[in-house]
Amino acid sequence: MEEARTMQVDLGNLMAFDSGHDFPSLPSSREELVEKCLEKGTELVQAIADALFNLPSTEDVDGPIVKLPQPTTKLPREKHLPKPKPPTKWELFAKAKGIKNRKKDKIVYDEQTGTWKRRYGYDRVNDDKDIPILEAKATDEVGSDPFAERQADKKKRVEKQNKNRLQNLKQAATAHALPSHIQLAATALPITGTQAAPKKVSKEELGNVAGLAATATASGGKFDKKLLGEKKPKHEQKHRKFLPVAEGTGQGSQEKEQTDRVLNKLLAKNSHEILNVNKAVTMYNVKKEKKRSKQKRDDSSNSSKLKPQKKVQKKPIKNGSATKGYAKKGSDTKGSATKGSAKKGSAKKGKSK
Amino acid sequence: MRTLDEKETTQVFEKLFKFTGNNLKNIIDSPSHEGPDPDPGRYCFRLCKNRVYYVGESLVRRATNVGRHNLTSLGTCVGKFTKGGSFHLTIQALGILAANAKHKVWLKPTSEMSFLYGNHVLKGGLGRITENINPGDGVVVFSMSDVPLGFGISQRSTQDCRKLDPNGLVVLHQADIGEYLRMEDEL
Repeated sequence: MEEARTMQVDLGNLMAFDSGHDFPSLPSSREELVEKCLEKGTELVQAIADALFNLPSTEDVDGPIVKLPQPTTKLPREKHLPKPKPPTKWELFAKAKGIKNRKKDKIVYDEQTGTWKRRYGYDRVNDDKDIPILEAKATDEVGSDPFAERQADKKKRVEKQNKNRLQNLKQAATAHALPSHIQLAATALPITGTQAAPKKVSKEELGNVAGLAATATASGGKFDKKLLGEKKPKHEQKHRKFLPVAEGTGQGSQEKEQTDRVLNKLLAKNSHEILNVNKAVTMYNVKKEKKRSKQKRDDSSNSSKLKPQKKVQKKPIKNGSATKGYAKKGSDTKGSATKGSAKKGSAKKGKSK
Repeated sequence: MRTLDEKETTQVFEKLFKFTGNNLKNIIDSPSHEGPDPDPGRYCFRLCKNRVYYVGESLVRRATNVGRHNLTSLGTCVGKFTKGGSFHLTIQALGILAANAKHKVWLKPTSEMSFLYGNHVLKGGLGRITENINPGDGVVVFSMSDVPLGFGISQRSTQDCRKLDPNGLVVLHQADIGEYLRMEDEL
């Protein structure tokens, strides 16, 4: 109960605060300390819950709703106090001369029309356009328009005033005391009093932005003169380039080149299939047999006993490497065995065309 | 209409090479017969809306006068590129394939109809077969009267065909002239 008295509950912030809490003895271990803190915390939360349920509640679909009172604890400022801004030129002058600021009314009595009019804005008191006649002075020139002159004077005055205003703001900015609405409007400026990290633009970013700027013209930047050293844009409009559809009478030279290249590549890749080794070997053997039988017939007409009979049979070998040399000599239709000579063969055909 | 780029050309040539072998050179280099010009030039391949066309040069030049969206077809269609980017030969390529085929298969009159309906070629329907066919080769299918019926991929080599039982698969069907009736819309 003693603890309950020292407990303060701030329902606006849903906070409970025990100012009289004190650890009677420092707990020995970390776990004990944690336990004790949890106990104390539960008591405080219980106090908040009690206070909450004591408030008058309204019924709702999800349950009773309670309107929290205003918070009692004062939270510290989020941002720093505004810095005193340097006095403007007029303020300095007014102080020096002792001019005091007089309160002006918004509605002023207009003598000319006899009504109450605004001091400034629409339908104001001393508007230029309400003056019907201007008397000519001795100093006026013959052909000049006094009304236009008055307007020009006013414009000049307004411009001067704006210039002075900007100068004052610049002074305030140097003293880091810009008024907050201007600080927010000027998005490039950091928050008054803080230092903004200088943003480094990378080469890639610059390149992208330059590309965007270069193409942001009516014809996409195509006909703009390029500066010295400026390179062509990275992504031209077309991402794929094809050969022209019809060049000259039909096929262009580039297309012919491409087809020939592809064809030769394909033929070269499959040139090992050009020679059918088994067939070549059988043909060779057949030829040999014929030759031998022919010799035999000739010899038998002369004398067969003197000459020895040579019987050589060549068996077809699975891998063609050993027989390639022989096949070269023997077969003529298949042409050649090695890849190099295959190319020669096709090149010969090409030349004959 | 546009020319084929290198990758597409390789795909088309590879598919044709399967059927023609070295005669591919004849297909590409043969002088054209199309068009009224005295010298029609050679044949070339053009791509129009994912279909590859085999056209003579003079026709190509004239076809450039037709607008891109109005041009439907030119010359002979030999195949199409699928959405996945692979190239398939269609039946309209039969003309050039049959003239330059390396491997041929002749069908008995009894199994012609079966093949024309889209079935594969069985050993029992085989009349003649060229030598030295390897499995996976492109094969052009003829009737006994040398009328080209279609083409397909061989499943067995010639020697294996001899030992096969009559219901074994010899040629996998790819395209046949019956498709002109069956798949008129898709050609």
